[in-house]
Amino acid sequence: MNHNRQSNDGKHDDDSALSDFLASLMDYTPTIPDELVEHYLAKSGFQCPDVRLIRLVAVATQKFVAEVANDALQHCKARQAAVVKDKREKQQKVISFDACF
Amino acid sequence: MNNGCLENRKKEHDNSQKRPKSYKFGSKSDDFALAIAKVAVAQLCESVGFQGFHLSALETLSDISVRYIYSIGKTANLSANLAGRVEGNVFDIIHGLEDLGSNLGFSGASDVDRCVVSSGVVKDITHFVGVSDFIPFAYDVSGFPVVKESTKTGSFWEKEEVPPGEHIPSWLPAFPDPETYATRLSVENETMGVSNGKKTESELERVERTMDRSLLNLQLRFAHNENKGGSSHGSGYVATESNPYLAAPLHVGEKEVSPVVLPTKLSNEVALRNPVHVDVGNHVSVLETFAPAIEAMKSGLCDSDNGKKKLLYDQRPTVRFKIGIGKKSLGTISDFGSQNEEDLLKIASWFGNDNEKDDKKRRVEKILKESVESSKE
Repeated sequence: MNHNRQSNDGKHDDDSALSDFLASLMDYTPTIPDELVEHYLAKSGFQCPDVRLIRLVAVATQKFVAEVANDALQHCKARQAAVVKDKREKQQKVISFDACF
Repeated sequence: MNNGCLENRKKEHDNSQKRPKSYKFGSKSDDFALAIAKVAVAQLCESVGFQGFHLSALETLSDISVRYIYSIGKTANLSANLAGRVEGNVFDIIHGLEDLGSNLGFSGASDVDRCVVSSGVVKDITHFVGVSDFIPFAYDVSGFPVVKESTKTGSFWEKEEVPPGEHIPSWLPAFPDPETYATRLSVENETMGVSNGKKTESELERVERTMDRSLLNLQLRFAHNENKGGSSHGSGYVATESNPYLAAPLHVGEKEVSPVVLPTKLSNEVALRNPVHVDVGNHVSVLETFAPAIEAMKSGLCDSDNGKKKLLYDQRPTVRFKIGIGKKSLGTISDFGSQNEEDLLKIASWFGNDNEKDDKKRRVEKILKESVESSKE
C-alpha cells in the first residue's frame, strides 16, 4: 500500500514535471525553427496540432546536434593537441580549426 | 570559448547546387527546408565553439538532423497508430525519442517497469534546456510549403443551372461558359448576322479596305525595289529596305552579266587565255552541237544552221562522238528527199563511217611516221 502511494506520488510528480517542462518550452525558443520541424513531421505523417510537442521535437533535435558537435570538437582538440606536441612553433600561429568527422 | 566565424553563405549556396541528388532529402523540392536546416546547424556549431565549417560536413550534419526529425515523427506516428489514434501525443514522441536514444543509452533504459512520463530522455532534455544558451534562429521563417488555393468551380446545383443532359447529375461541377471555347469566327458571324445590314456592310467595307491597303503597300514596295534594283549595294540600310528576293525579275540584256565560258580544248592555248575575252559566238553547249543534227534528221537543213556550223568548225575542231548508230542510220538519212550531198556527208561524218575509220588510220600512220622521223633526226 505504501509502495503504491509512493508510486502514485511519484507519478504525479513526474506528470507535473513533464507538464511543467512542456509549459517552459513555450518560453524557450529553440534554434531550430518550428516551421522546419513541422514540415518534416508532416512529411513523416505525424499529425499534431499541439505546438508544445513540436517544440519538444525541436529541442530534442537541437540537443542531438549539439552532442554531435561537442564530440567532434573534442576529437579535433585532441588531434590538434597531439600535433602541437610535435611542432609547437609552427602551430602557434594557427588558432582556428575546422569541424571534422 | 573562441568566437566563431562562419564561411561565406553565398559560397555554400553556389556549391550546394553541385551536390549529388542521391540523398533522400536532397530533391529539388526540399532545397528550401535543407537550407534552413543548414543555417540552424551552423548556428548551433558556432555556439558550441567552432570557427569554420567544411561545406560537405555542414551538408552531412544538416541532413542527419533532418533525418532525425523525420525518424522521430515516423516512430511517433507508428506508436499512435498502434494505439488506435490518428493524432500523436507526448507519449508517442517520448517513445520515438527512446527508440532513437537506445543506441547511446539514457538513464533508466534498463528498467523493466519504467514509465514513459519519468523517462530518462525527458530528463536529459530538461537538463539540456536549463544549461544551453538561448540562440534564436537567424532569419524569420514563414510557414512552408505554401498551399495554393484552388478555385473550385461550383456544381450545377450551386450555380442553379440545368445540366445539358439527363445523364449528367446536378452535383457535378458545371461546364465552362461556351464563350471560352467557341471560335472567334463563329462568334463574329453570329454577331454580324444578328446586327443590322448597314453595320455588316460597314464592317465588310472596313475589311476590304484593309486588304486593299495591304495590297497597295506590297505593290509600292515592289515598285520601289525595281527602281533600286541595280543601284548601290553598299549600305546595309538600303539592303534592308529593298529585299533582292522580292524584287521583280530582270529581263534578258537588262543587266551586264559576266559570260560563262566553257573550255574549248584541253591542250589548246585558248583554254589558257583569260576566258572573259572569248567571243560570245564561241559558247557552245553539247545540245547545240547536236541540235543541228537533230534538226537535220527531222526536217530540211537551213542556210543559217549551215552558217552556224561553219562558224563552229572554223573556230574549233569537231568533237566526234560515236553514238553507236550503224549503217542503217545512213539508210534512213538517205531516205530524206530534200537533202544536199554535202550535208549528208557531214551528217555521215558525225555518226561514224567506214571512210572515217580509214581516215583515222591514215592519220595515225602519219603521226607515227612523223614521230619516227623526228626521233631519227
